[in-house]
Amino acid sequence: MNVGRRIAATWLLFGSCAVLACLLAPLVGSTRISFWRVFDSSVPFTENTDAQIFFVARLPRVLAAAIVGSALAASGVVLQALLRNPLATPFTLGVSAGAALGAMLALTLNLSSGIAGFSAVPLASFAGSLGAVAIVYALARARHRGLSTNVLLLAGVTLNSFFSALILFVQFLSDFTQTFRTVRWLMGDLDVSSYVPLMAAAPPIALSFGAFAVLPRSMNLLSVSDENAATRGVDVHRTQRLAFLSASLATGAAVSLGGPVGFIGIVVPHLVRLMVGADHRLVLPAAAFGGAAFLVACDTVSRTALAPLEIPVGVVTAIIGGPFFLWLLIRSR
Amino acid sequence: MAAHTKSLILAALLGFVVPLCVESPLAQTPPQRIISIIPSTTEMLFAMGAGPRVVGVGNFDRYPPEAGTRTKVGGLVDPDVERILSLRPDLVVMYGTQTDLRTQMNRAGIPIFLYRHAGLADITTTIRQLGVRVGSVKESTVLADRIEADIADVKRRVAGRPRPRTLLVFGRDAETLRGIYASGGIGFLHDMLEAAGGVNVFADIKRESIQTTSELAVARAPEVIVEIGIDTASTSARNLRAWDALPSIPAVRTKRIYELRGDGMMNPGPRISASVRRMAEVLHRDAFTGSDPRTGGGLQGLGRTATSDPRTSTGVRPR
Amino acid sequence: MSERGLTADHVSYAYASGTPVLHDVTARVASGGLVGILGPNGSGKTTLLRLFAGLLSPLEGRVLLDGIDMKMLPRRDVSRRMAMVPQETQLAFDYTVLEMAVMGRYPHLGAFEIEGPDDIDIAREALRATGTLHLESRLFTSLSGGEKQRVVIAGALAQLGKRGPHFLLLLDEPTASLDLAYQLEIRSILAALNHERGLTIVVSTHDLNLAASLCRDLILLDRGRVLASGPTASMLDAELIRRLYGVEVDIATNARTGRLTVIPVSRASDARSS
Repeated sequence: MNVGRRIAATWLLFGSCAVLACLLAPLVGSTRISFWRVFDSSVPFTENTDAQIFFVARLPRVLAAAIVGSALAASGVVLQALLRNPLATPFTLGVSAGAALGAMLALTLNLSSGIAGFSAVPLASFAGSLGAVAIVYALARARHRGLSTNVLLLAGVTLNSFFSALILFVQFLSDFTQTFRTVRWLMGDLDVSSYVPLMAAAPPIALSFGAFAVLPRSMNLLSVSDENAATRGVDVHRTQRLAFLSASLATGAAVSLGGPVGFIGIVVPHLVRLMVGADHRLVLPAAAFGGAAFLVACDTVSRTALAPLEIPVGVVTAIIGGPFFLWLLIRSR
Repeated sequence: MAAHTKSLILAALLGFVVPLCVESPLAQTPPQRIISIIPSTTEMLFAMGAGPRVVGVGNFDRYPPEAGTRTKVGGLVDPDVERILSLRPDLVVMYGTQTDLRTQMNRAGIPIFLYRHAGLADITTTIRQLGVRVGSVKESTVLADRIEADIADVKRRVAGRPRPRTLLVFGRDAETLRGIYASGGIGFLHDMLEAAGGVNVFADIKRESIQTTSELAVARAPEVIVEIGIDTASTSARNLRAWDALPSIPAVRTKRIYELRGDGMMNPGPRISASVRRMAEVLHRDAFTGSDPRTGGGLQGLGRTATSDPRTSTGVRPR
Repeated sequence: MSERGLTADHVSYAYASGTPVLHDVTARVASGGLVGILGPNGSGKTTLLRLFAGLLSPLEGRVLLDGIDMKMLPRRDVSRRMAMVPQETQLAFDYTVLEMAVMGRYPHLGAFEIEGPDDIDIAREALRATGTLHLESRLFTSLSGGEKQRVVIAGALAQLGKRGPHFLLLLDEPTASLDLAYQLEIRSILAALNHERGLTIVVSTHDLNLAASLCRDLILLDRGRVLASGPTASMLDAELIRRLYGVEVDIATNARTGRLTVIPVSRASDARSS
């Protein structure tokens, strides 16, 4: 039971799952394409339909699914450890409500111009998520030097309710098209059809993953109790801050990229823990890779099940997530 | 207003279809206090000369301009029953799906006209039925005849010409290729396209609206892309540049992407023949030499709202 | 030499809400000692223990470890020689018993270092010392209260890793909510750790008999102040206990165990209003 070896095996196993998913998914879809034709360099790109579908329609989408799935699953793990609650999700603390409000406003006000090639809705969405994080952080810090997890939870839940009310209000004010668009956005949409949104989401997510890399051992200690961590050398306040901010940043970026795709942040961590145990040095990388593979698979289902129509990816994850929890509940009796 | 007009249309496109039912036989005297909460029926009423008898309109009814002077009584989701009753109407034109309002009107003993949103031909059918209902039979017949004649003229002009495979987009997130909504194989937008001499790339999918992913757009390979119902302030050039990401689409390669701005484009009302003509003009430019803007009796222009970009003022913008 | 060990020097503490908890407390835990902090609920025992552990900072006064103010000591160095066992451990995740014990080794690992075979051995040795090695693959959450407590103590032992009075073990109410049999077990484990391994042990408790049978010295806390401190035999004085607990007691040496026992007799006639 050498942990080092188990960590390596986890990276290898889950990592290859993720890579495999990303390699195979762009070849699958409602339109038949030929692998050879995609990479046939003799046909100019502008005429190569198969290559277009592969590189412009599908590949960005698969990569977006990988990034979003990975970010949400990993953030879920971090927040569950921080809040000492396996039922916490990346959306528990209000980040996604802030992102949704930002997106609603952009859609309703018909903001069209983005900045430097990044379009308005994802930008507004990201700004909204940062706003929500700032508010929750300020509220949770108000009384103590560090972050009281109880206050954090309370602040997050309150913000969730408040922002959700605002979102309903904005929907009420908007006309029917905009309302439909916003409702549709809430179901998740990974069809980015361009690498630009990926490049925009990559830096904050990479930053967060950098923070995640140093957290796992501290998260083991912290997930037992603050005391447990403090008496074993962890700077509890700093670690809580780092965990909260990095998980929120990753969530905000992910939601801005693909909408608030639910269930990944809780189904994947649970599944992963069933497979590798509770040690976060295993759970975190497994969830990151597993989340990527999971969402890539869900997205593939979403664009093939009812082809040529598309099921919103958030609906697919919900259809899988709901019964999964039912099964968990039955199993645990 | 463009967006709101389109919104109500979209509401219908997204599945609110109810059997048409004309309630109560023709009263002895034609109604004198008419309320219409649907933009297209409001337009129809004004176009058939019943405007002076209209006392209340929907929140989003802005055309013709006189309609804006009438009392606003709400819309599809939030009709203001109190205000409707306070206007003492003797006819209320509403959506068939507004069951609550219907119940309340029945309870108040107020006659109603139920509107169903459907295909292109149903527009003139509705005009005729409405004309009978409000006692403007002659004017409505003239109006309907003229619209049908206009559309028939367009059809004649494009007859025999090769019909390009066309993607008719009525919604898209500005400057990106996300959230593309296009017309499916049924509904009045589809009928418009066919009348204008195009073939809908989604003709085989029997839905009114299709969310088009980039893969789907590439797979269907339209030769022409027509975008209507645009409500962004962004310039056409910038907005249309988004399509450059998919050069294998024939329409993108041959630069046959057209923006048709203006709030009348998606309104299934009296201006529909002008819209059909505008669409036909971009699909078959050579059939419409000398750009003949027939306004088609009773209409106040073609809904060409002035945009900041003078190049779109004629409503035709070759990409 | 007199500086070795823990010292609370005129320490006061209050909660963030302003509720005062400790007033001008001065207390000593000599290196190698087995000290009990005794008092009724609400007397500030746990707070004093947490101040000793460095989890809290006093509002007034200083807490010294081997003569140095604990605020100056690097957290990591302290965590390598001082371990704390809380009153109870609730887990939301499915760690195994061995994983819980191995967590005690974390302070000894470098930034990205993974525990090596030595660390695993130390952890298993600690489990053996508390009689829980046979549970190493079980989920912590599936254990009984007594088993859990012993596993947590094992984790603390693994954290200390070595022998000698230089290493301190702090326990908060280690026998509260445990069955009688487990209480006795914990008691003998702690006694052995002090006698055989030489660890310095501080226990906070309201259990008079645990204090009587285990601790060599006692600090009596009465509503946030030190009532008295010194060797157990002196502290277990009927008058002191009456003042502390409002109870009349008999103190006797049990013939079979040879240890002091405290038998409550009745409420004191001039009982404190508590």
